[in-house]
Amino acid sequence: MQSTRREPTATRPAPRPAPDRRAIGLRVLAVLGVAAALLGLRLVADPAWTSWLPAAGRDFVTLSVSVFVESLPFVFLGIAISILVQVWVPDRIWQRYLPRNPFLRRMVLSVLGILFPVCECGNVPLARGLMMRGLGVGDALTFLLAAPILNPVTIITTYQAFGWEDGILVARIAGAFVIANLLGWLFSRHPDPESLLTASFEARCHATPPAAQGRGVRSARLFAEETATMLPALVAGSVIAGAIQVGVPRALLVELGSNPVVSVLVLMALAFVVSVCSNVDAFFIMSFSATFAPGAIVAFLVFGAMIDIKMLALLRTTFTTRALALIATLVALCTLVLGLGMNLVV
Amino acid sequence: MSSEPPRRRPPAGLLLGLIGIVATCWLAATGQLGLYIHPRYFVFTTVAVVLALVATVVAFALLPGDAGDDHDDHDHAPQGRTRRRLRGAGTVLAGLALVVGLLVIPPATLSTATLEQRDLNSSLDTDAVTLVGADPAGFALRDWAALVANPSTALGYAGQQATLSGFVTPSPDGNPDVLYLARFVVTCCTVDAQPVGVPVAVPGWADTYPVDGWLEVTGTFVATSDGSSTVIVLKPSTLESIEIPAQPYDF
Repeated sequence: MQSTRREPTATRPAPRPAPDRRAIGLRVLAVLGVAAALLGLRLVADPAWTSWLPAAGRDFVTLSVSVFVESLPFVFLGIAISILVQVWVPDRIWQRYLPRNPFLRRMVLSVLGILFPVCECGNVPLARGLMMRGLGVGDALTFLLAAPILNPVTIITTYQAFGWEDGILVARIAGAFVIANLLGWLFSRHPDPESLLTASFEARCHATPPAAQGRGVRSARLFAEETATMLPALVAGSVIAGAIQVGVPRALLVELGSNPVVSVLVLMALAFVVSVCSNVDAFFIMSFSATFAPGAIVAFLVFGAMIDIKMLALLRTTFTTRALALIATLVALCTLVLGLGMNLVV
Repeated sequence: MSSEPPRRRPPAGLLLGLIGIVATCWLAATGQLGLYIHPRYFVFTTVAVVLALVATVVAFALLPGDAGDDHDDHDHAPQGRTRRRLRGAGTVLAGLALVVGLLVIPPATLSTATLEQRDLNSSLDTDAVTLVGADPAGFALRDWAALVANPSTALGYAGQQATLSGFVTPSPDGNPDVLYLARFVVTCCTVDAQPVGVPVAVPGWADTYPVDGWLEVTGTFVATSDGSSTVIVLKPSTLESIEIPAQPYDF
């Protein structure tokens, strides 16, 4: 946090007087009215309106909705923790408990996921919150890459799926730790780390909330801002993930899997495409474990938890396209080395 | 949007969230969450969206209505304005997609179109052998699919009775007299759904039963020759068209 402590460069307009009770009551009625209208639409929507959709189109909608419904609660959870970190946890806690030595600090950050066992989609708002609190880009990246794997839920499900078999569990945990710290270190060496961030996020980091506002209002504001940023990204990620599922024959990918070198690449591609959440991806890939070498399985488990289509859409809210391309390439190369190395050894 | 004074701007994020929340609550209340996610997430998802609904109402009540859009307001360069307009268009598109996908199109299960992308029975439990000796009455469609596909276990179940439900899909080898009764196995959400199926002997089935229609079949597994080897198929005694069950996937 110490490395890139940001100074406020812009101020918000002066705080407005607190709204009176009547205005609050009206707003509550308004939002409930909107919710009722949405529910009404759902209840009157006639299946006949969309019965012209072909089966593939229907499946595309089902798949996209599935990704969205699965991720939505995690995104809300991530936003809630992010608000907690930004508004309710005093700054000095971070100052006190995060080591000053950058290597040690990143090591601590990479196991922070143990405290916040949200899967990767929830980590994005949380990492944004940490960066707005002044965490450096490299440090935040370490957290983003490590937390989906180094958290209790993922470790338990991976253990349930594979046990100690072939060292898959150990390789996943150790691989994630090393890759996350390596990338965090690399990006902390970046001469201008703020150029990696999107303009709007950078502006948000520099804006200071009006001090006169209470914590409740600040939390509400953050909730509105983060949903405005994350939800369009989640919709885009869900739609793209759904479309690719319908468009790419999975059988084709699996048939390529017998070669020890190609299989690593194939499972990385599969992980990128399916965008399964890191908490359960072990169960998913277990069904392929007869066909693929352990190195390929580990590559799937490490790469997919860090980078996939849905995740890139969410990360794009915060990082520039160039930065994301660089991150994805580096993670892919590291995973490739890990997977091929394992196939040589095991 | 940008021409209006900032105070009047609607909190777009809260509205988007509300669409998702209302749709998810409706799915949960009508018992249809199982169409999209694994039952282990039902409680978490329901609690999370109800809390999110409370948070949305509170945030909406507390905010003067200018939040929700991104705060590069202090950036009034034309470039910034274009970007903001783009983002506004993206938000509107996302809202439309959510309304159409969640509130207009009826919830549905995956169909044969996806099954064909994913290779029927390509990812069966490889441990079908561990099922041997268990009471077949408790077998799900996925268990039967594994047993039938595995040559070392299949013939041991010839003569066994079973009642299974699933949707109709053509036999992978194109045999017109065998349909596959299929289901998807879901580990997290339908994105990871893997199709499994059991062959059912119904000569000329395509004339009577539509692909993707749901059937409940009661019958007996019998050994038969598929030309090169002996396999077992389910020979139905009753075949009944059914509504899509509330739990259409195997978990």
